[in-house]
Amino acid sequence: MDFDTRVKLRIYDTVARTTATPTTGEVATALHAPLADVEAAFRRLHAKRLLVPEPGDPSRIRMAPPFSGVKTDFRVRVEDKVYYANCSWDALGIPAALHRDAVVEATDGQTGEPITIEVRNAAPVPRPCVFHFAVPAARWWENIIDT
Amino acid sequence: MLLFRSEESVNRWCRAQGLPVRPMIDLRQLWHLAVTWYGNRLTVDSRRPAPDEMVAIFAGIGLTGSFWDPKADQWSS
Repeated sequence: MDFDTRVKLRIYDTVARTTATPTTGEVATALHAPLADVEAAFRRLHAKRLLVPEPGDPSRIRMAPPFSGVKTDFRVRVEDKVYYANCSWDALGIPAALHRDAVVEATDGQTGEPITIEVRNAAPVPRPCVFHFAVPAARWWENIIDT
Repeated sequence: MLLFRSEESVNRWCRAQGLPVRPMIDLRQLWHLAVTWYGNRLTVDSRRPAPDEMVAIFAGIGLTGSFWDPKADQWSS
């Protein structure tokens, strides 16, 4: 297994277990690897769009899609854990990635009213709602944090 | 991408923001995208779909046209 894959798996294993994204230092310690090597791996994983560093602090992760490194308006409860997602797509991506039932707690984009989506037995429980894409696919990564 | 209770809620939001109404998908379609994108994300072989794969994934749930093409220089909804 190459080094970038080990770093990727460590990031995702950490966030899945703890709900928090690890820093470069934490990954370096866990893998017994030089910090500079992990920093370089983070940059390559960013280039592959598998993580987004925190603006102004590349030692921290803002996004390891579908997980968010910071609290957002998209809360995902899985058993006794609470994860945060980057958007409604990623909110469903968390139970998809974890292969677990989940309850997504979000809000209506217009009214701010709570909307709950339950994922049970590998499928969402049907409920009326729609998802609006304001940005075309070609521009998603121009500003992925706000997309 | 934002979640709304209904299409009417999307329309009101777009009017308030001064934005055009763009494509909407339903819960079934979004779940398909979530599973396709992230179902193996915690595994060794996980990666983001390549642009041509994305086009095929979107087309598989009825989303076609330049809006859904990550390589498009121009687009329309």
